[in-house]
Amino acid sequence: MIPVCRLADLPRGEAYRLETDPPVAVFHTDDGEVLAIDDTCTHQDASLADGWVEGCEVECPLHASKFNLRTGAVDAPPARLPVRTHQVVLEDGVIYLLLSDAPPNLPPCAVARAGGGFA
Amino acid sequence: MPTTSLPESLIATLPGGYYTSPETFAAEQEHIFESMWFCAARSSDLGKPGAYRTVTVGRESVLLTRARDNSVRAFFNVCRHRGARLCTQESGEVSRAFQCPYHAWTYDLQGKLVAAPNLTKMPDIDRTAYGLAKVAVTEWLGYVWICLADDPPSFEEQVVGEIVARLGDVGAIERYAVADLAVGRRIVYDVRANWKLIVENFMECYHCATIHPELTDVLPEFANGYAAQYFVGHGAEFGADVKGFTVDGSDGLDRIPTVAEDQDRRYYAITVKPQVFVNLVPDHVIFHRMYPLAVDRTVVECDWLYLKEVVDAGRDLSRSVELFDRVNRQDFAACERCQPAMSSRLYAGGGVLVPSEHHIGAFHDWVHDRLADRLPR
Ligand code: FES
Ligand code: FES
Ligand SMILES: [Fe+2]
Repeated sequence: MIPVCRLADLPRGEAYRLETDPPVAVFHTDDGEVLAIDDTCTHQDASLADGWVEGCEVECPLHASKFNLRTGAVDAPPARLPVRTHQVVLEDGVIYLLLSDAPPNLPPCAVARAGGGFA
Repeated sequence: MPTTSLPESLIATLPGGYYTSPETFAAEQEHIFESMWFCAARSSDLGKPGAYRTVTVGRESVLLTRARDNSVRAFFNVCRHRGARLCTQESGEVSRAFQCPYHAWTYDLQGKLVAAPNLTKMPDIDRTAYGLAKVAVTEWLGYVWICLADDPPSFEEQVVGEIVARLGDVGAIERYAVADLAVGRRIVYDVRANWKLIVENFMECYHCATIHPELTDVLPEFANGYAAQYFVGHGAEFGADVKGFTVDGSDGLDRIPTVAEDQDRRYYAITVKPQVFVNLVPDHVIFHRMYPLAVDRTVVECDWLYLKEVVDAGRDLSRSVELFDRVNRQDFAACERCQPAMSSRLYAGGGVLVPSEHHIGAFHDWVHDRLADRLPR
């Protein structure tokens, strides 16, 4: 189990980005649920922790793809592939994660293509 | 300047080139419009968080919006990445952020950079330092005033001071409760004339009896050619048979209750340099802002402000609005008649001001001071 932060330090409506590889976003929803998914949008390299949460959905800040925080499914394009979800454990007021061992759906990495011209 | 000496009754205007030279206009943009407080929008144009307007101030485009905490914010409308114009619409509403249409750098309503492709791979990018560049902003009289200067002048001195100089004290305008009034009507005029011709026109009333028959009927003293602005604290009195400040002298709308007895049945006019004109009458306020866009083009946005309950009740404002709408059209037509002649060889040395216009000379001195040694030679 990986410790994330104290529950008290993550107010409702906010997200915490855990610098694992790949990073994970932990959300405390307005309804009081704590849910974790991969932080990186599957469309392009954007941090979903920087996105906007409504209900149990997060909207990517770049092109408005929506992901279900419980299932990781894409609820709105342009993203096509789901993000992974991770199991959250609350113990003594501390948030812990059990990371998924499924392969992540990472976006094509622009950095790797640096030097190549593509308009 | 005229080379011959003038008869005593006359003083010189600015030379014609001041109204036609792109270099002079560029100097004015920099040393007047980008250096002083500039009235950019009505606060109610930014009715809720995310509502925005873009306005041209000097050579810059400025983005105005309202943040979640309800404060008004102003930014350079320039993406911090590679300079794309962030918002191209004149007005609109975003739900939570401004996003650059080029590479999707995304800024929240306080200007902070909240997202960008690969941003988390560049943790050394400070999200505030690379947020939208802020412009000084304040609200007064229900308007949003901005200043592009790095070190803005005192708002009290520049703006409030000018109103005090004209009306005698700030209480005189406070009695019109301008911030609490509602916009009953807005008309935008696209005037093909230099902004200074419009200021000069607004400052004098030598033309009133000739081009403003309706206004002179309502304010008979205007026929003597002296503008209401000529004397400190003076308001032009309505004619004896005039019921209200309307196109036909018929009844106006409900009087603003805090207007003082000695302000009743009077018309006051104020010029707040460089680009605001205000008219005060007992039942409404007419608030003009000029947006100079080119040496020979000025957009004038004019609001007619009434008591909120008058506007909410859908009262008929047409005769009230029509009086000053006609005045504006008459004035702007006169300015547009002058503009083409400003480049005439005959006008190279400028024209002349008669005694009832001599106070315009102070405006010209002010322009000279602002541009002193800053004009290209
Ligand atoms: S990066 Fe998330 S929708 Fe494009
Ligand atoms: S120029 Fe705005 S994101 Fe690139
Ligand atoms: Fe006029």
